[in-house]
Amino acid sequence: MWDLIESACLYVGLALAVTGALCDLLGALGLLRFPNFFVRLHAATVGIIGGAVYPLFGLTLMTIGCDFLGYWRWLFASGSFITAIIIAITAPAGSHALARGAHRSGVAVEPKLCDKLAEDRRGD
Amino acid sequence: MNLTKRVLGFAAVFLLLFAFFLVASASVSPADIAMGLIVAGIVAAFTSTMVIKEQPHKAFDVRRWFWALVYFLYFFLVVEPLCHFDVAKRILHPKMPINPGIVRVPYNLKGDYAVTMLACSITNTPGTVVVDLDGNGRKFYVHWIDVKTMEEDECRKAISGAFEKYARRMFE
Repeated sequence: MWDLIESACLYVGLALAVTGALCDLLGALGLLRFPNFFVRLHAATVGIIGGAVYPLFGLTLMTIGCDFLGYWRWLFASGSFITAIIIAITAPAGSHALARGAHRSGVAVEPKLCDKLAEDRRGD
Repeated sequence: MNLTKRVLGFAAVFLLLFAFFLVASASVSPADIAMGLIVAGIVAAFTSTMVIKEQPHKAFDVRRWFWALVYFLYFFLVVEPLCHFDVAKRILHPKMPINPGIVRVPYNLKGDYAVTMLACSITNTPGTVVVDLDGNGRKFYVHWIDVKTMEEDECRKAISGAFEKYARRMFE
């Protein structure tokens, strides 16, 4: 039974790691293709959550499935799990600071359908 | 703040830090446990009044932790894959179908932790980024990659509806 769980963990972890590589590639493509700073932030989010948090969760599962690591696998597993959580909690703080600073310093939001923030700020 | 609240706040921060230390060190040897107790005690003594300002009993409520676990699973297994798929489609599509814009998203939460969690959740889903916050008017300004509607309540339903429910159950 434990063998089955180990190999399931290993393969799910590998799948997550491959997903992470794909998400990083897509994020890089998005950074190249998207028209302005704010839309590029969305591509960067794909790179953060899909490209860093998911592979680290995958690494957690993968190391749990790796019998030959012996004692060290719990260290690897817990380390990557905690790193994933911390990235997921702290990365948006950076995105918020970048987005707010960019908007306040007048980076163009073109192309856009609407910009309620600029409307409200003009009204103040 | 009276003494009971202080002790409860200290205990909450201490237990969280100690659990964090144990998971990070991945060992239950006596030396590690002693080190964890000392470090968690020192850090909690300095920071507990800053981290928990009021109502420390919330940290010991099992239902809140249960909803946190449910939210964690829901967020990483359902919401994130769907949003990633959506944005990946827009990146790879030859015509690049985006209609970006900044919309207002009202929220109805009081605590700092709840609002922070809501903002972080919105930013962490690809396709929406919080640009600014109006604390008195209780609304976020969210840059949305595909503006379907500019009505505030419709935006709220589409962007933050699910998160807000969980934020209220966890922190309010």
